This record gives sequence, C-alpha cells and structure tokens, in this order.
Amino acid sequence: MLVCLLFAIRSPQSAILTQEPRGKAAYDKWCAGCHGDTGAGDGYAQAFMLPRPRDFTKGVYQIRTTASGELPTDADLRRVIDEGMPGTAMPGWRERLTDAQREDVIAYIKSFSQFFTGPAPTAIEVGTAPRASDEAIAEGRQVYEKLECFKCHGQDGRGDGTSAPTLTDDWDQPIFAADLHGSWRFNGGSSVEEIYRRLRTGLDGTPMPSFSDVIDSKIITDEQLWRVAQYVRSLSPEEPPPVREVIRAHLTEEGVPSGPADTTWARAEAYYIPVVGQIIVKPRWFSPAVEGVWVQAMHDGSRLALRLTWTDRSRSPDPAWDEWLGRVRQAMTDVDGPLPSSQGPDLLGVQFSPRSGEAEPPFFLGGSTRRPAHLWRWSSAPDAVTSGTGTGLGQFTADAGASQLTHAAQFVNGEWQVQFTRALVSADTARAPSFVAGRALPIAFFVADGSNGEDSVRGAVSAWYAVYLDVATPTRVYVAPGLTMLLTAGLGLMLVRQAQRRERNSERSNSEG
Amino acid sequence: MSRVGAWVRHPFWQAVLLLILAYLLFKFGIALLPPLLGMHSAPVPTSVVVQYMLIALVGVLIHVSSDETRWRRFKEPIHDTMVDADKRWVRLAVLILVPLLIGWVTYDQTRPKVEAPITLRSIHPAPPSQITFRGKTIQLTGLENPLRHRGSLTEHIETGKRIYYQNCLACHGDRLDGQGHFAHGFSPTPLSFADQGTIAQLTESFVFWRVAKGGPGLPREGAPWSSAMPVWEDYLTEDEIWAVIIYLYEQSGWKPRTWEESTGGGEH
Amino acid sequence: MRVAFGIVLALTAFGCGGDNGGASDQPAAGQEGGGAIAPAGGGTITGTVSFTGTPPANPTIDMSEEPACAQKHAGGARDPQVVVNDGKLANVFVFVKSGLPAGQTYPVPSSAAMLDQDGCLYEPRNFGVMVGQQLEIKNSDPVLHNIKAVPTKNRGFNISQPTEGMTTRRTFNTEEIGVPLECNVHGWMKASVTVLNHPFFASTGNDGTFTIRGLPAGTYEIEARHEKLGTRTQSVTVPQDGTATADITFGAAAS
Repeated sequence: MLVCLLFAIRSPQSAILTQEPRGKAAYDKWCAGCHGDTGAGDGYAQAFMLPRPRDFTKGVYQIRTTASGELPTDADLRRVIDEGMPGTAMPGWRERLTDAQREDVIAYIKSFSQFFTGPAPTAIEVGTAPRASDEAIAEGRQVYEKLECFKCHGQDGRGDGTSAPTLTDDWDQPIFAADLHGSWRFNGGSSVEEIYRRLRTGLDGTPMPSFSDVIDSKIITDEQLWRVAQYVRSLSPEEPPPVREVIRAHLTEEGVPSGPADTTWARAEAYYIPVVGQIIVKPRWFSPAVEGVWVQAMHDGSRLALRLTWTDRSRSPDPAWDEWLGRVRQAMTDVDGPLPSSQGPDLLGVQFSPRSGEAEPPFFLGGSTRRPAHLWRWSSAPDAVTSGTGTGLGQFTADAGASQLTHAAQFVNGEWQVQFTRALVSADTARAPSFVAGRALPIAFFVADGSNGEDSVRGAVSAWYAVYLDVATPTRVYVAPGLTMLLTAGLGLMLVRQAQRRERNSERSNSEG
Repeated sequence: MSRVGAWVRHPFWQAVLLLILAYLLFKFGIALLPPLLGMHSAPVPTSVVVQYMLIALVGVLIHVSSDETRWRRFKEPIHDTMVDADKRWVRLAVLILVPLLIGWVTYDQTRPKVEAPITLRSIHPAPPSQITFRGKTIQLTGLENPLRHRGSLTEHIETGKRIYYQNCLACHGDRLDGQGHFAHGFSPTPLSFADQGTIAQLTESFVFWRVAKGGPGLPREGAPWSSAMPVWEDYLTEDEIWAVIIYLYEQSGWKPRTWEESTGGGEH
Repeated sequence: MRVAFGIVLALTAFGCGGDNGGASDQPAAGQEGGGAIAPAGGGTITGTVSFTGTPPANPTIDMSEEPACAQKHAGGARDPQVVVNDGKLANVFVFVKSGLPAGQTYPVPSSAAMLDQDGCLYEPRNFGVMVGQQLEIKNSDPVLHNIKAVPTKNRGFNISQPTEGMTTRRTFNTEEIGVPLECNVHGWMKASVTVLNHPFFASTGNDGTFTIRGLPAGTYEIEARHEKLGTRTQSVTVPQDGTATADITFGAAAS
C-alpha cells in the first residue's frame, strides 16, 4: 500500500509533462480540430457536424468486432483510422499519416478514456456468410419483420420507422436511422460480412442494439441473422452508383409515362446525383437530410418527363417529427442563426439554363440577377409545382400565365417519387428553355426536408449536370460502316490480286530468261 | 532465341515493335510522369494519342525507306503475305480483320454521341491589381500577409485552424486534399492544398483574393457559374482570412510564393 | 527511465487504480456465496417517503403505434413519473451513502435483480443492484424493445429483445449512482439503476415505505433519489440490532 501511495504521488501525469506521449503531435495537428484537444469530441468543427465528432473520453465506439458495450480492439480502431467512416466526415488517414504515426495516434486516443487500462478486448467469433440466393433474401426479409427492424428502419428500409423521429445518440443529439438503400454510406462498410457484424455487435453510442442475445436465446438462428444482413445488402446497388455527368432521356414511341408509379419508367436508366449541404450562401446548412437523388428521363419527341426519387424520412410537415426538429434546431443553430421553429414542406428544385444552346449556364446556386436560372419548384404541402425564374437561392419569381409544366407526386414508405412533364418546345423561350432532341442542356437539383429544419436556402444542392434527349439512330450509322467495309475489302483484294499477278509474271519471265 | 533475334533485327518487325512501344508510351507512360514530380496527372486524350501516333508512323516510314536494302527487307513480309501460298490463312485474316476494324471506326465516328455542354475554365485566372474588401480598397500587387509582421504566429495559426475547421473543412477536407465530406457534390471539385500545383505556386495576396471573393468573384474566363467557393468577405474579417492563409501554409508545409520570386521569375 | 515509467503505469493501473471503471471482470475477494439481498440480523432503517403539495400530472403517452402495449393501460397510458398515494411517494430509491465500515465487503446475492418491460413501461423504474449481481431483463410485451444502459463508470450495453418472454442477464462491475436505462424504440421508456458494493438499499412501493436491514450499529447518511424530484439526504443513527426511523419528504417543487 505504501508503494502504491508513493506511485500515486509520482503519477504518470508527471511523466507526460516531461515527455510528450507518442501520437500527441500527430493527433493535435490532424485530429484535434474535430475531436478536441482532450478527445472530448469538442474540437472547432463540432457545431458544424451532426452527428458530432466522436468523444473519446467515454470509450464508446460504433464500429467494433467486440460485443455490445465492450471496447474496440486496436485493429478496430486501426481500421477506422485507415479507411475512414463512409457517410461521415471522418476520412481515411493512410495516405496522410505514416504507419507509425497511426499506431501512435491509436495509443494516444485510448489514453483519453479510463476504460482502456484493463485487459485487451477480444473480437467475437463469427462464421462465414452462407450462400446468398433469392430465397435467402426473402427469408432475410421475414426475419427483418420478426425482429421488428422496421420500427426504426421503416417498412422499406429507408430509415422512416415510427421510432425514427425520437432517436438520439449517447450525447443526446438527434440521429437518423440508417437508410438501408445507401450501403456505400454505411459507417462500418457495405459488405454482407460487415453488416452482419454490425447486427452482432450493435453500434455503440447509437440506438442500434446488438442481436447476439437473440441468437443465444434461440429466437432466431445465426444463419437467419446472416439472412438479414443479405436482405439489407440487397436493398442497395451492388456497386456504389457512379456519378455520370449526362442524364440521357430515353426516347419512347408510346408517349411519356403518366406518373411516377408508371411501370414504363423501368425502361429509362436511373442516374444517381449526389447532393450536399448548401454551405455557400447564408444561412448555410451543414446537416442535410437528403444525400442523393435518382433521376430518370424520357421523351417522346413532343414531351419530356423527369422522374425524381429520393429518400426522405418524413412527409413534411409531420407532427411526429416536431420533436426531431426541436433537437436539430438546438444542435445546429450556432452556425448561421436559428432554424425555422416549425416544419416547412419538403422542397425539390430542378434548375435549367434558361436558353438552350448556350455554353455558359448561370450560377449553379439558383442563378443570379445577372444571369437568372429557369426553375421547376415542387413543394409537398400544398402538393404543387411552379415554374419560374431564379435569381439566387431562395429568390424565385413564378412565371406569369398558364404553366406548361405538370407533375404528379407520391410518398411511399420514406421515398418521394415526383414526375414532371413538359412540352419540349417552350412557350416563352426568353425565360424557359426548349428541349431539343440530340442536344444536352444543363440541369441541377435542390432538395430540402422540412422536418429537418430545411427550407429554400438551407437544403442540399447539386452541381450542374446535363440532360440529353436521345435521338432515333439515323440510317447512315448503319449504312456508312457497311460501305467502308466493302470498299476496304475490295481494295485489299485488288492489291493482293495485283501482287500475285506480278509475282506470277516475274516467275514466268525468270523461267523464260 | 535466335529466331526471336532474327525477328527483332528485321526492319518490318522493328517498325511494328516501335509503333507498339510508342502507343504504350503515349497512352500510359506520359500520365505516369507528373506524379514523379508530385503533381496531379490525367490520362492523355485519344485525339492527342492519334496525332502523336501519326507522327511516329511518318518517322518510322522515313527511317525504313531511307535505305534501299532496308526498304526492300521491310516490304518482304508484306509482299510474302500477299502472294505466298502457305500464308493463305494469314492473308485471309488480314483481308477480313482490316475491313472490320475500319467498319467499327466508321460506326464509332457516325453514331450519335452524348456529350455534356463544354464549359471553359482557366485554372489560374489572373488576379486584379486591387480589390474592394467590405468597402475598403486593398492593393493586391506587392501585398504581403500583414499578420506575418504582427502579433503571435502561434495565435494566428490557432485562429486560422478554428476558421478552417468551421468553414473550409466540409469541402477542402481535414487532410487538405480537397476531399472533404461535401466535396463530391461540387464541380469543379474543391482545390487540394496538398498538391504542389496550388497554394505552393501562389502568393498569399492571390490566395487572399480567391478566398475573399470566391467563385462569384472570378473573372469571366474563370467560369463563375460553377465554382462553389463562397464569397468569404461575407463571413470573415480581413484578419481572419489572413490567419486562415497562415494556417494553410503551416498545415500543408508549403511556402507561399514571394513577390521577389514572382517578378524575378518573370515568366508567369 | 522508460522501464521505470512502465512499472509506474502498470502499478497504478492494476494495483492502485481505485477507479478503473469496472474494466476487470474479477469479483473482489469475499464476494462469493449467495444469500438474501441483505444480511440477516443487525439493525434496520425503515421509513416513509411523503409528498407534500399537489403532485404534477404525469404525461400521457401516445401508444397508438403499439396496440399490444396500449391495451395494457385501460383509460390511456401515462408515464408514471410521480406516483403519490395518500401523500406517500412511490419509486424512490433509498440507499446508505456513507457511514459503513471501510474495507468491509458484502456477499453478492445469488438471485438476480429483475427488470421487467411490461406495457411498454419499465418495472421497477428506480432500483439498485450490487456490483457483480445479475440483472435479469425481461420482455413481457409482444413487441420489440431494446434495452440500453448508458453508464459513465461502467461499460454500457444495448440489447435487442424482439419477442415476448425473452430474458437477458447483465452485470455491472463498479459502483455507480443512477445508471440510465432506456429503450430507443419507445422513447418514453426510462429507468434508473444504482450499482452499489453493499446491499443496504431499497425502493419505495406504492405505500411509500422502505426498509433497509442488516446494518451494524452506527450513524449513516442515507440518500433518497427520485427520477423527477431530485435527492434528499438524511443522517440516521442505528442502534445495535434495533430499528431507526427515517421519514423523508419531497415537495412539489423539485430540488
């Protein structure tokens, strides 16, 4: 005991004072800006992110291979530092910090919490994924229902469950139930194995529990939990959707679809357009609810139809989400002033260059007074669309007179599906562009979720893309290659014949001579 | 072995080999050079590759035809393929493959192509000699970062760090590589300060101008309609911008270009 | 020099760290053996917790999304945050805060403390377990609950209980007052568990009374904790094998 006292007086702190811990220099330089000098998650960027940067003092980590409530292994920490966490502000550090630096940073991060002084945690044993099949995925869906995953993640897995608006993390900040259709943004990785691990370990610090005890209690089998992971994975595309600059409007002979639920939409390719927080003009918005929009386009030579779908957890305004808005308001007001105190509608803006055939589109953020943009502006309440002129974000003048633009919208289990239809030829070419087959026109998007405190300025924006109206393939495309092939083949034959004749002639003259 | 040696010494196969090597060099080799100097690289456009290949072909033809014997030997395999009875199958293959290739190229040329509208943009637009910052005229030419001669550098770095993490991080990223968590939503993508080609080549006054005036403050050739860079004079004071510039150089490890270098170098 | 630091660190961590947060799974010496919650014999503290004034109305809960729970609450579900019967306050957790002989250890009960989820409410709402004692968590509802503990000194847990009758056991490794327990599926579900390394604690029932048994003679400080009304502390002197009375009063104004 005396020995203990002696050592207590000469605590390790004094050692720290004289000899800086390994990893501190790299941590202070690269990590502290978000996670704070003392690891409390209170760095400078804290108020500009939701969820907040991780607070290391609690020793609570989302992405682990260990059981619920246990500490992560060093390998778990290493993986997050190396690869980063998709869907969050945490990047991978492999290229910025050396191997040794990252090792040292792990040791330093662990020193922020009292818990890491005990024995090293061990990863839970997991088997390998059983073979996936359509039946397996169907079974996974059944188990998803049995385990009531939909309570938070929603019937279709879009994070719109009845409990979703009430969710908070261990720091009392609002947290969205994951949209299971965007596996490339899963914090712990998108593979079936990684999803299965999250089910076994839970995501500590969040409302996501561990399902290990459910297997131990024989309520489901281990294989059934794998099936859930396979079902969840099947909701997202196999590869992260590529971002392509040109959206092709499919040419149809049968007239454009009648609404967003029309099955003929299956013929048009879907393009993924990422949207990010509007952090350019005041008030900026660092916590957008919508992360991407899927766009399809079709035209029949006289009309253009656009179908836009995106995950939105609420059909705003929805009283169930008042509590959520209150929390977001509290969390994000420090940035550029208070958020709206009541929920506005959900908004969608589709923006065009006002005149086709111009190389220079207007300012991508809603146009400017010098160069206005043409805008289609849809709101969920009342469910209406207006076409008009944008002279900056939130600066919108509706077109006078009869609108050429029609729309149909439906909200299906956490997804908005909106179709716009307009004649290709504009009635007012000074303000609205005509769409011309075989030509591309600049197009950009704006989305806002009213329940998340978003409005016509605080929302998610995209860069300029282009919409190209397909043309029927001209006959010459098939005729010209045929002709050139014939010509070349003929020419080749001729050359060969000539050479052979000459050869024979010279042989003959040789033998004669 | 000797067979291979005979092939390599044959002018026809030499020419073929040379052209293949040239193609590989143009298509892939050139793109590997900039990273060696720490610069970003991009694939060489097909049109440029085609041009270079034509030049290479002309060069090769001039070389083989400059010597009578060489020219004759060069033509031998071509001639043999056309007339020899035992090369019948090769002849047939060439007669089928070449027209097919030509047909495909024609198809590729005539089919309707989907292209995004072209937007022009200059990477380093010329700065104005003076700007108006919140109503105050600031002479940019010859301007140095005033904070480097005032107050404590450590404090300026800390102020700059706070401003960077609260305002710049979402796009330019905490690794300073232009890959913040919102960067993927913008086009052009946010600048990487880690690159040798960005702030390392600029004076602090140029950076001040770009920060203060943002995308909308770019001159016409800079394509103001697509840069997402905000107009920071709406958010930050003059000193705050200078502080964040100090932080950028400190954190990235680059040195700002000085006015002596700029005028002395003369070529910019 | 570095070796010396290593030894310092090791010793402080394993030998001298009085507060290493229950990272160790080893029970302290002398904790084996079962028995009742409190040792037999010794002195007793008993008392009644009263509430003066008008109790605040308990908030209603919208259980329309969980009909199976809603039907367990005839006349509409309310969150029983403040339960007062004839001026007596229920759901108060009373425990000996100080005064126990230093270094004394107490056997951990072999029986588990029970926590039920019934009608989408916790029962009990405010209770205690001993360090190392099993806490059995049961789901009596045919709906999904997750039970999440958010401690600061102990390690937490977050377990899914999707079916009726499922039970799960967990323990806490170090003393901690008022560990929040919550269900994220039903945001209104909250309980509090206090982890102590002695058995001298009790919760008041609907009659507002509590009894703590088996105390050696001495003067103790007891604390009464209520989820909404705060805490009260009181000094109590327990005679040898006798009973001391400690009545506690909470008022309408929270302290």
